Amino acid sequence: MERAVEINKLVKSYEDEPVLKDLNLDIPKGTIFGLIGPNGAGKSTLIGVLTGLLSFEDGDIMIHGMELKDSNELEIKRLTASVLQPPLLFEQFSSIEFIEYICDIYEVKKDGLIEKAYSLMDYFDIKDFAKIKVNKLSSGSRKKLAFVTAVLLEPKLLLLDEPFESVDVISIERMKNVIRRLKNKGVTIIITSHILEVVENLCDDIAILHEGKIKAYLDSISRKELQKDSSLHEIFEKYVEVEKKDQIVDWL
Amino acid sequence: MLVNLIGTAIIVVLMDSDPWMEVQLPWLTPDIYSFILLVFGNAFWVMHFSFTNMRLLNIEENRKLLGFGFPLNRLAKYLTLIGFCHPVNIIYNFTWLVFLLIQVDYAFQIPVAIAAVALNYVIIYSIKHRFIRVVEKRFIAVVIGFFVLVFGLFQMISLFASNSSQIFAEFVPQVETVNAFLSWLPGGLLIQSVTVYYGWLNATIIFFFSVVLITLTVIDHFNKTKEGLLNPGLKKAEEESSLLWRVLRKIMGRNAGKYYFYVMKHPYNRLQVLTLTIIPIVYVPLLLNVDFEIAQTILIPTILAGIPVALLAMGMANMYGYENREFLLHIQFPINLEKQLKERFLGVIVLPLLVFYLITVFELLVIPEIGSPLQIFVANTFFFLMFMLLFVWSSYFQYQKATFSSFSYKHPIIPQKVTFAISFLIFSMGYLVFVPLNGLEWYRLTIMGTVIVIMGIYLWRHMDVLVTLFKNRVLIRLWNEL
Repeated sequence: MERAVEINKLVKSYEDEPVLKDLNLDIPKGTIFGLIGPNGAGKSTLIGVLTGLLSFEDGDIMIHGMELKDSNELEIKRLTASVLQPPLLFEQFSSIEFIEYICDIYEVKKDGLIEKAYSLMDYFDIKDFAKIKVNKLSSGSRKKLAFVTAVLLEPKLLLLDEPFESVDVISIERMKNVIRRLKNKGVTIIITSHILEVVENLCDDIAILHEGKIKAYLDSISRKELQKDSSLHEIFEKYVEVEKKDQIVDWL
Repeated sequence: MLVNLIGTAIIVVLMDSDPWMEVQLPWLTPDIYSFILLVFGNAFWVMHFSFTNMRLLNIEENRKLLGFGFPLNRLAKYLTLIGFCHPVNIIYNFTWLVFLLIQVDYAFQIPVAIAAVALNYVIIYSIKHRFIRVVEKRFIAVVIGFFVLVFGLFQMISLFASNSSQIFAEFVPQVETVNAFLSWLPGGLLIQSVTVYYGWLNATIIFFFSVVLITLTVIDHFNKTKEGLLNPGLKKAEEESSLLWRVLRKIMGRNAGKYYFYVMKHPYNRLQVLTLTIIPIVYVPLLLNVDFEIAQTILIPTILAGIPVALLAMGMANMYGYENREFLLHIQFPINLEKQLKERFLGVIVLPLLVFYLITVFELLVIPEIGSPLQIFVANTFFFLMFMLLFVWSSYFQYQKATFSSFSYKHPIIPQKVTFAISFLIFSMGYLVFVPLNGLEWYRLTIMGTVIVIMGIYLWRHMDVLVTLFKNRVLIRLWNEL
């Protein structure tokens, strides 16, 4: 199977503190890939590295067959869109100005762009905020605006860091719907989330990241096998070696 | 500028009886003198509304303490106290005290002046608390009004100083009437507390009456704080048109244009531009009228050379502070980072450079006595480039997130170290660059010219240093900033 992302022995540290340690990961093209792990596992850092925002000390990353290095950097960035946590938006612009600006930078075809933008905004109930300044939006609306913009960029690889956080349940369902449609069009989507139920229902493959390493890779076949006896929650607890701490709060 | 203004007022107050003043400024009759003081006092009083910053109470944030069980009364009491004791408010009221106490003639005026300042403060604070939205919306109007009123007066005096006798002969008879009116405005009443004789008995009555009023107003303020803590304001999102953004995008392109848009959207910068426009309009004609060589050879060129430097400071001293974390989005763009940073860098220097050339031409045409065209050009270029280097250093090594609380006690955009360096360097550099050296002028020109050429070549050939510095010094801070 063709791979959208191949990561080989990736090392990333903040000052002297290693965050990603010899990380290996392959993500198949055209799949919805879930990356789960406890706080501080390195999920956002991995997304940061894949978006080109963070440098790394060692290892290789291939995105759509191109090595992530200076000579390919712009080509890879053109194929990639992301929604980070918290989302990156231009605070002084209105929502529609922000969308127009980003689409202009990514040279998205202008024909019908505004109509598409308004229809997606309408779908996520943020159309009324089109001319409102971004810094006046609620955290849920900000997340939805970042998601709408990322979709309009027509990426081949979509990186979503905690995309469902602060978003209402109806919009989460709509986001999942859009993500599935993108997958059908051949887009690879990488999602990090703490909501295991959403990851379980939405993702084809899931990896558990803990202490800077991939502890388990569950493709659709192995998931079926494993989930016969236990839930994703139990599998997660097993791989991140959750310490039983109930006795600490015995005093309660 | 405020310090400058206060300094001028204090000098006028202290030197009114100096014989030198009578010779130099014969038009400064007692009536004109009172008129200046009254205009200053009333304008200063209006200005008070902008400086008594309510946002410092940070009610939205402090309200959270109530959720942790912090008693409402105690929280409201602390917030009331903190609000009153903020350094900016203290400095402002201390200025009032100094301004009034240097005019005191009788001992009984001292407690009355102190009580009057305190009463004035609590009343303004209370008014602001009640009408905060109105005051904030009218903020720019209040500030412009102050500048126009005070600087207009100084400008008028400077323009009329040469043929003062004729102009003041027509103006003086009406000044008394104007003064009578101004003295009953709030600023005038404060001045009256130290200029009018009212005796110990009246002073005691006024003092106690003021103390009662202060107490009642503080109690009212305490109650309003309590009410504010319990009733969060509704933030209403309104549609906004961004004509400025569209214009800047057309003129400067989507990258530099966007950056300029952010710079110009910051309220502090708008005020700064206003100040930079007013200062030369007021001071240059004033200094041109002064028969004092240093004023023309050092002060005027330094003030003028400082204008493009100040504009440059607005845009360059903290190049990533306006956008902070959202700048990460620029790094994700499929556009070379070096190209983006270059565009931004060159965009930032366009406007100051334009102003720089206008000023150089102005100096050559209007005040040629400050030096030859080559001297003026080399000196201004040197001045500009030296500060540009300081700001590049500041942007990368002194990065800080720009805040939007104008009139906090620290500069909302430029780091403290840099503001200190600017204020220290601007006049010491001015002295180094513009002081006449007569026979040694060519040595200085050669040194400055060589430094300019070296700096120019270095910057042109090492623009990639911007990217390296950005990646090493700023990027990780932006990533970690939430």
